[in-house]
Amino acid sequence: MLAPRSILPGLLAASFLLASGEVAPLETYKPQERNYWAFKPRSKPLVPAFTNPADRAWTENPVDAFVLERLHKEGLRPAPEADRPTLIRRLYFDLTGLPPSTAEVDAFVNDAAPDAWPRLVERLLGSPRYGEKWGRHWLDLVRFAESDGFEYDNHRSDAWRYRDYVIRSFNEDKPYDRFVTEQLAGDEIAPGDEEMRVASGLQRLGPLRLNAGNQEVASSRSEVLIEMTNVVGAAFLGVTVGCARCHDHKFDPIRHSDYYRLQAYFAATHADNVPVASASEQASWTAKAADAKAEVETIRRAMKGLEGDARKQMAKKLRAAQEKMPPPLPALFSVRDDYSRATPIHILARGDYRDQGAAVGMRPLGVLLPEGTPERPIGTEYPRAELARWITDPENPLTARVMANRVWLHHFGRGIVDTPNDFGRMGGRPSHPELLDYLANWLVDGGWRLKPLHRLILLSNAYRQASTSPLVAAAMEKDPNNKLVWRYSRRRLEAEEIRDAALAVSGRLNTKLGGPSVIVPVDQELVNLLYKPSQWAVTPAAEEHDRRSVYLIAKRNLRLPFMEVFDAPDLQLSCARRESSTHAPQALELLNGGFTNQMADALAERLHKEAGDDAAAQVDLAYRLAASRPPNAREKELALEFLAAQPLREFALAVLNLNAFLYVN
Amino acid sequence: MPEHVRITRNRREFITDAFCGFGSVALASMLQAQMPAATVNPLAPKAPHMPAKAKAKSVIFLFMAGGPSHVETFDPKPLLNKLHGQKRPASFGEAKYQFVKKDATLLGTKRTFRKYGESGLEVSDLFPHMSECVDDLAVIRSCHGDMVVHSAAQYQLMTGRILPGFPSMGSWAIYGLGTESESLPAYVVMPDPDGALEAGQPMYSNGFLPAVYQPTMFRAGERPVLNLDLPKGVSPAEREKTVRLIRGLNEANLEPDDTEFEARIQAYDLAFKMQTEAPAVLDISSEPEETRELYGVGAEPTDDYGRRCLLARRLVENGVRFVCVVSGGGPGNLQWDAHDDIEENHLRMAVQTDKPVAGLLKDLKRRGLLDSTLVLWGGEFGRSPECEGGKGRDHHNLGFSMWMAGGGIKGGQAIGATDEIGLRAVESPYHFRDIHTTLLHQLGLNQDALSYMHQGRRERLTEIQGEVISALV
Repeated sequence: MLAPRSILPGLLAASFLLASGEVAPLETYKPQERNYWAFKPRSKPLVPAFTNPADRAWTENPVDAFVLERLHKEGLRPAPEADRPTLIRRLYFDLTGLPPSTAEVDAFVNDAAPDAWPRLVERLLGSPRYGEKWGRHWLDLVRFAESDGFEYDNHRSDAWRYRDYVIRSFNEDKPYDRFVTEQLAGDEIAPGDEEMRVASGLQRLGPLRLNAGNQEVASSRSEVLIEMTNVVGAAFLGVTVGCARCHDHKFDPIRHSDYYRLQAYFAATHADNVPVASASEQASWTAKAADAKAEVETIRRAMKGLEGDARKQMAKKLRAAQEKMPPPLPALFSVRDDYSRATPIHILARGDYRDQGAAVGMRPLGVLLPEGTPERPIGTEYPRAELARWITDPENPLTARVMANRVWLHHFGRGIVDTPNDFGRMGGRPSHPELLDYLANWLVDGGWRLKPLHRLILLSNAYRQASTSPLVAAAMEKDPNNKLVWRYSRRRLEAEEIRDAALAVSGRLNTKLGGPSVIVPVDQELVNLLYKPSQWAVTPAAEEHDRRSVYLIAKRNLRLPFMEVFDAPDLQLSCARRESSTHAPQALELLNGGFTNQMADALAERLHKEAGDDAAAQVDLAYRLAASRPPNAREKELALEFLAAQPLREFALAVLNLNAFLYVN
Repeated sequence: MPEHVRITRNRREFITDAFCGFGSVALASMLQAQMPAATVNPLAPKAPHMPAKAKAKSVIFLFMAGGPSHVETFDPKPLLNKLHGQKRPASFGEAKYQFVKKDATLLGTKRTFRKYGESGLEVSDLFPHMSECVDDLAVIRSCHGDMVVHSAAQYQLMTGRILPGFPSMGSWAIYGLGTESESLPAYVVMPDPDGALEAGQPMYSNGFLPAVYQPTMFRAGERPVLNLDLPKGVSPAEREKTVRLIRGLNEANLEPDDTEFEARIQAYDLAFKMQTEAPAVLDISSEPEETRELYGVGAEPTDDYGRRCLLARRLVENGVRFVCVVSGGGPGNLQWDAHDDIEENHLRMAVQTDKPVAGLLKDLKRRGLLDSTLVLWGGEFGRSPECEGGKGRDHHNLGFSMWMAGGGIKGGQAIGATDEIGLRAVESPYHFRDIHTTLLHQLGLNQDALSYMHQGRRERLTEIQGEVISALV
C-alpha cells in the first residue's frame, strides 16, 4: 500500500512543475502577511525554568512550566489538585465519555502507588471507549451524517463504515498524518483497499441537493465542490478558506484565486459506491431492481394524460411500485478520480458558477508557498494525495498546531486558540503561543500519534487542578474565562455523554462496538415531520436502542430532541466546538422526557437490587454511580427525607437531573 | 463556556462584548439603553439595537408552503389572459423552471380581481375575507429569490441561505430580543398536520446558534408542546416534590463562584412555570364563540388553520416573539404546489386559509395587537406564467408576491411590480434579504449588529446586505 510517489518531494519548496496552458496570474503576498504568527514556522520554545523549589516541583512536566510562567506573569497561582473521585470522573469522561464504575472509583481512590494516575491514564487510553469518545469529536468536525439532507434526505446506508473507520483509527492511535492522508486520498493511494476507500468517503459526507425535473448540472457540481473544499480548510488547516469563495478574504491573506486553486484538487473527484456484495447477490439485486424499474416505467406511461380520480389511483400504484425497489446492496461510500470528467475550475465572481473568470490549476494556499510557486494543471494524477502531502508535511505551520489545539480544547474546554477552526486574524490569539508550538512539535516528533500528546497533557498538574481555587476572587477579576488555566474549567456533559452516562448509571448500556447505525423510537409527531416518514424505520432489536449515542443514526432532517436540546451539532456544517447553553427545555426534557423516565425506572430497579430496601444504602449507591462520590451529609439528609414518603423512581429521576451528574468538575 | 451564552456578565465583559459584537451604530444605542441587570435567563428580554425604530414586538409568519401563485392572488395580469395558449414573447426574456420546458405556453387565470377598501388594493376572488383587510396589507409584488426548487428556496426564505445549517429568522429574532414570556417557548413553529415540507426541520432551526434559540415545534392536537406533560401516573403534587428535591440537592453542593449552576436552578424554575402556566394559554376552548367563529374554528375546511391562527394570536398576546403558522405539508398537492391543476389546488388551499388569516388580522386589530405584531404572508416562491401539463403552474422565483401587515408597516398599498405577464420583478425588485432586513428593522434590530461569530465569520441573517423597504416603514 504505497503512495504513488510523484517526483515531487512534497515540501513547501517551489517544487511544483510548471503548468501548461493558460492560467490566472499568481498572486503575491506581502511580508507582513507572511509574518502572521500562524503562518510562520513553528518555533522550538525553551521550557521555562523555575528557581523556587515549590515551582520546580510543580513544573516537572513541560506543560506545567508554560502554564505556570503565564500565571506568574499575571500574578496568579494554580489551584490545588482535585480530589481523587473528581479526578477519575474527569478522566473517564474526557477519554471515554462514560462515568467510571463504583469499583473503578474505589480502586483508584485506594491506590497508594505513586504511579496510580499514570496507570489510570494508560488504561483508559487503551480502552475501546477512547475511540468512541474522540472519534465523536472528529465526526463533528467533518459534518458526519448518514443522510443527504435537503428534501429527499435519502439514507446513506453504508456511511456507518466511515464512523467505524474513525473510531478504529483513534483506538489504533493511527498517526495523524496518515489519518489525514487516508481521508483525503485513500482511494488514490490504495484503490483496492476497502479501509482506504471508506476513509476517502470524507469528501462525500456533506449535504447533497438532489432535485427532480430540469437538472442544473453545473450548479449542482459547483455546490459539491464548494462543500469538499470548505471542509478541508476548516478541519485540517483551521483557516476559513470558504470566506475567499466570493472575493479575497477580508481579513486573512487568502486570495480569491487561492480558494479556487485549492478547489482544483477536487476537480476530478466524483462519488463512487464500491460494491462489496458477492457476484450472485449483485446479480439477484440487479434483476429485482430491473423488474421494479420496469413496473414503475409502465405505470408512468399509463399515467400520461390521465386526470382526476383515475390519475390519483395510478399515482397510488406508482408509489407502491416505487416501494418495491430492493434496498441498496452494501457498498463502500467512497470517491474516485475520473480525469476525463474533471471539472474545469475557474475563479468565480461572487462565487457564482455562471460568472467564470480565469481558469486555475491546483496549488495550496499561496501565503504558505514561496512567491511564484506555479500551479499544477488539473488532470495531473493523484491530486488529492499531493494535497495531503502538503497538508501533512511536518513543515506545514498550520496542521500540527491546529490538531494539537483540538486535543487541548477537548481536555480543558477551551483551546489555546479559542477559535479552533479559525487561526486567522478574526480568530483568537493563542493564550500560550510557546506551549502551542511545544505541543505541536511533540505531536510531530512523536510520529504524529495522538496518545503521547494526551499522555503529556493528562500527566500535567495543570490538568489535575481542582475546579475551585482559594484565590478565585482575584483570579476571576483578571481572567474570568480561565484562559490562563488557573483552575480546571467545570463543564457540562455533552449531549451524547448525558445519554450514555444515564444508560451506564442505570445499568442499561449496551457496549457493543461498531456496525450499522441504530434508529431508536421517537415521538410519532416528529417522524411525521419527515418528508418520507417511512425512512424512520426503528431498529427492531430493543437492546440495540441502549447503545452508545455515537452509534445512533445521524439523520440530517431528524435529530433526536434530546441531542438537540443539549447542543449537539446540526450535522450540516463543520463544528469545532460545541455550544453549552442552559435553558428551560433541557429541564423539561430531563424531567418529563421519555428517555430519562425510562432510565429512572431502570436506575430505581438497580438501586433496589444492589442496595436492598435500606434507603441510606440506596442514596449512597445512587451518588456513587451518578457522581462517582458518596453524598455529603446534607445531600443524604434531604434524600432520606424525600424517600420516607416518595417513590424510589422519583428519587432516581432526581439523580439524573442533578448538577453532580450532569457536570464534570 | 462560550461568551455568547454566558449567563452573567460583569460590566467590563458586557462592554467588551458590545464593542466586539456590534457595529458602531448599534453600540451607541446600546450604551444609551439601560445596562441590563445581571440575569440568569438567556431568553430574558433584551433592548433592541434601535429602540426608537422598534415598532413590532412579535412576528407571525403565515407560511404558504409550496409557493402560492402571484397571478392568481395579488398580482393581476390582464395581458397574461390575452396571451393564453401562446408561447412567451421573447421580449420578456428567459426563465429557468424546475419542470416546465422551453416549449411551454402561457396560462391565463380564471380568477377575477377587484379593488377593495379605501386603498383600492386589488385582490383576487380567492380571498373574499382577506379583501376586507386590504387597508392593513402592504403587498410586495416584486419579490424574488435565487432558487427554483423547494428545499433550497425554503432555506433561503427562512435562513437567508440556500444551504441548510444557518439560523432561521425566528432564531435570530429571539437571539436579538429574547422573549417577553417566561411560561411559553420564545419561538414557535406550527407545522401543517398534513405532513412535512421539503426543506424539513433544518429550515426552522437555530443552526449554529446555541440550543436555547431553537424553535419549539408544536404538535397537532390538544397538547402541542413536547415534554410539557408529566409522564403517566405521576401527579403534579408528587412531581413538585421531586423538583424541590433536585433544587435542594443542587444547593447542598453549590460552589460559591458557580454562576452556571445558578442558571440551571433557574432553568428548572422556568420549566416548572411553563408546565403550570402554558396549558391555559394553549387551550383555545376558553375563547368566546364569536372569536372562534371569526377564525373559522369549528367549521370545515377552516377549522385546522383557524385553530392554529387563533393560537398564534394567544401566543403573541402572551409575549411569544416569533410564530410561524404553516399552510401546506406532505405531498406537493397538499401544499400550494399546484403543478397539476392551479384551479383545484388554489381554490382548496385558499378556502382553508382565507377566513383564518382575515380573522387573525381583524382580531389582532381590535385588540390593539396589530400595531405591535408584524404579520408576514407568503411562500418560498410564486408560480410560472407558463402552464405545466395543461392546467398547472411550475415553481417560479423571479417575481412573486408577499405581504406584510401590522408592526408599523404602512398598509393599503402595493409596491413594486412584475412585468406584464408576471414573469420577472421589474420595478423595485425586493429579494428575501430585503424582506428579512425590513422585518428585523421593524423589530428594532439591525442586520449588521445582529450577528454571531461562527467559523471565523461574523454571520448574520442576510448573506448580502439587505435593504429596508422604505415604502413600507
